[in-house]
Amino acid sequence: MTGLLEFRDKLKSIYSHNEVFILPVVKFLVALLTLGLINSHMGYMTKLDNLAIVLIVALMCSFLPKGAIVLFAAVFTLLHMYSLSIEVALVGLVVYLLLFLLFLRFSPKDSLAVVITPLLCVMQIPYVVPVAMGLLGTPVSAITVSCGVIVYYLLVTITGNATAISTMGEEEAIAKIRMIVDGLLDNKSMLVVIASFAITVIVVYLIRRMSIDYSWTIAIVAGAMINLIVMLVGDLIYDTNVSILNAVVGSVVAIAVAKVIEFFRFCVDYSRTEKVQFEDDEYYYYVKAVPKMTVAAQTKTVKRINTQTRGDYYGRSVTTERTGRSRNYQEPRGYNKGREHLNGGRSMTISSEQMTDDVQDDYEEIF
Amino acid sequence: MLNEERVILMTKMASYEGNEGKKNMAIGKFFRSDYIGIQVLKSVLSVTICYAVCFALYIFYDFEVFMQDLYKMDLIAFAVQVLKYYGIAVVAYGLLSYVVYSWRYAKAKKSLKCYYNNLKKLYSLYQEQ
Repeated sequence: MTGLLEFRDKLKSIYSHNEVFILPVVKFLVALLTLGLINSHMGYMTKLDNLAIVLIVALMCSFLPKGAIVLFAAVFTLLHMYSLSIEVALVGLVVYLLLFLLFLRFSPKDSLAVVITPLLCVMQIPYVVPVAMGLLGTPVSAITVSCGVIVYYLLVTITGNATAISTMGEEEAIAKIRMIVDGLLDNKSMLVVIASFAITVIVVYLIRRMSIDYSWTIAIVAGAMINLIVMLVGDLIYDTNVSILNAVVGSVVAIAVAKVIEFFRFCVDYSRTEKVQFEDDEYYYYVKAVPKMTVAAQTKTVKRINTQTRGDYYGRSVTTERTGRSRNYQEPRGYNKGREHLNGGRSMTISSEQMTDDVQDDYEEIF
Repeated sequence: MLNEERVILMTKMASYEGNEGKKNMAIGKFFRSDYIGIQVLKSVLSVTICYAVCFALYIFYDFEVFMQDLYKMDLIAFAVQVLKYYGIAVVAYGLLSYVVYSWRYAKAKKSLKCYYNNLKKLYSLYQEQ
């Protein structure tokens, strides 16, 4: 565990020192993955299915706000829809407009979840989203996740009917609209997934905010199980053909990913929980303080063993230096003067002037 | 000379001003009724646009049937029905917006109160020096 905590601290340190570079790179990769997947799954507009365009747009997303990824993803999908059929693009535009005007304005901070949800759905690990959003977000995140599910099913409906739509003539405009609208509204599977994801987000959020030990772990497991149960109940009621194996494996993956998130966001030591009670003029306070798991900054001990041949004296000098994050103990000049009488022996050279008491204990004596 | 407590406080406050505080300060400029009123108005505008778009899509979806029935149907009754649904949508969404933005205003004010307390504390630290 100590090794993991050290690794976490090292990662945090690297991130905090290089945030300016890491964040744009992450945004670039998310944009690249999103646009790449859109092109590979839709790809009706051949001009847009070009690596150079994807790279340029991803590069733009890297220094623009996070919302730019959502905007460009929407533009890319709309252009592909337009290439397939103008009526399909019209339906897509209406759906995006509804989502943006009615729902996303309540939670603009989580707007990236609208892209991440379809992305993970395509990668066959959709169950990660509600659990992760419940841990990191608020109950309002349920709206964003639901919007992501709607976008995913809209795109699935379009790609599923693409062959039929492309064979239809211009005179069948209404039939095309009906095909997409019916495909979306009659999709019971979408409704079940929306219900299960929304319930999961809220349940995970409520449990992880509780003042109970291991609340995050309980929230993760409960969230994954509730998600699974709602999906299976939905399958029984609406016959949505949910693959039980996929759902179980997906839930296990969701738990694993959520535990990683927990490790980075909420790593506490419940064995050292303190409960204190005090009062002031107006209130009684019952406070539960749970300490965070941390490790002290690792220090390294560097030994320098040099063979000395100075005049008649012959011996070895062992210099032990302790290095820390910000501490550098340097050997003062002429330090060995007066110690040459230690002929043939080994000496430890430590600058006592620059050492504090707590540091001295960590030194190794080699006399 | 550097005062560690003051530097920590200023760092926290600067971080707040740069992130969450920016939004909260924008909210804090308004009176409660003004802020909620503007947001509810925006919501009504949004729901109006969405209703118009959905109505257009509905007509387009059932265009042939609609055109066939156009001369048979009672247009005034149809318009009343459309307006009734519009009213329900506006009231429901407006109410939801009212609840959400009231909560947000209260939250922002509470957060700003904490920020102003820190400002006072910072001022007193300067006075002590």
